[in-house]
Amino acid sequence: MSTEERKDVPVGTPAEPGPGPVWALLGVLVVLLLAAATRYLDQNVPALLKGTALENVGAAIEYPVYAIVIGLIGNAVLTAAGVRERLSGGFRTEFFIKTGLVLLGASINLRVIVTAAGPAIIQAVVLITTVFLFTWWLGGRLGLEDKLRALLSAAVSICGVSAAIAAAGAVQAKREQLAYSASLVIAFALPSIFILPWLAGVFGLSDEVAGAWIGGNIDTTAAVTAAGAIVGDDALAVASIVKVTQNALIGIVTIALTAYFAFRVERRADAARPGLGEFWRRFPKFVLGFVAASVIATWWLTTVSAADGKATIGEINDLRIWFLILAFVSIGLEFRVASLREAGWRPVGVFAAATVVNVVVALGLALLLFSGFSVA
Amino acid sequence: MSETDPPVEIEGRTAINEDWAATIVGLVLVVLVLTGVIPVGLVP
Repeated sequence: MSTEERKDVPVGTPAEPGPGPVWALLGVLVVLLLAAATRYLDQNVPALLKGTALENVGAAIEYPVYAIVIGLIGNAVLTAAGVRERLSGGFRTEFFIKTGLVLLGASINLRVIVTAAGPAIIQAVVLITTVFLFTWWLGGRLGLEDKLRALLSAAVSICGVSAAIAAAGAVQAKREQLAYSASLVIAFALPSIFILPWLAGVFGLSDEVAGAWIGGNIDTTAAVTAAGAIVGDDALAVASIVKVTQNALIGIVTIALTAYFAFRVERRADAARPGLGEFWRRFPKFVLGFVAASVIATWWLTTVSAADGKATIGEINDLRIWFLILAFVSIGLEFRVASLREAGWRPVGVFAAATVVNVVVALGLALLLFSGFSVA
Repeated sequence: MSETDPPVEIEGRTAINEDWAATIVGLVLVVLVLTGVIPVGLVP
């Protein structure tokens, strides 16, 4: 686990000036090698452990667990060797996860997306509003600086690092505030990948409700996908639809933040009103790819036999799993604890309290909106 | 805001470009599999 000092640069962003494209390519190669090891373990461990005392454990471990653990081990080794920073340009979690989600769209029938969109939008609007306002209020009570409040509120209520990046642009936050918020997001998301699927089992939630819960409250899209995949394919489908819906709402929140900071906090008379252009600029375009892949595959399946369709979509699913493994390995490789120590206990306390509120409200909404929902 | 604490526009742009890249790569892969250019069984 990294303890390197690099507090002024956001997580997942290569150092500036960058170490060069050769190092970034080597970084991608490292991610690919670790992903291949993950895929090998995922496909072979159950067979290797068959008949031993660990048979049940081997069968129960899903690929996100191997990927993150292997990524964390790689993180420790590369840090010890002193090359992790230079390779970090190749750890493209955002790119890998978004490509994986576009591919996931091809395996979700358009009907499921359309029928889940209503409850997903209601859940996202209620959840984002409640958690954002709670975090903003608590951050104010504890005397956090306004820009950090905005970043933490966006990160915990919408979708983690990408929301923090969008909010940071909207409120002109400092680099270390973004780095700090991003570190908090990762530090809280990593354990929730394992805790929430376990709790979903303890509570006896259906796969659909578990997916809606996971999609509603885990902050980063990558971690949502990992936790959803641990629960199962149906949970992954619902979790990703709920998360993609939240992603789509980033634009609205950043417009509101841009306007609020320009007119209320900084009181700039010359500030331009953010409009549709700003909304489009902030809109996560991969959402369009996710829906487009579903439209293409749903139409294509009507033109071939069921067996051919199943085999072909299975091939797309294999590609999707590869990209998700690349993303989860990158999560492990990127994880760092150093910047968490810098800002003291108050932002951590605000983030922790907001996470608890997020978990509880998301569970209530998932039960209310998704109890009768079925992916099949 | 001081000279040493620049706002984070650069990272915002990077994230937006990765967004388009992921969308294009994902859709191209979907089309390649559906048209048989990437045959079933090729992905390990």
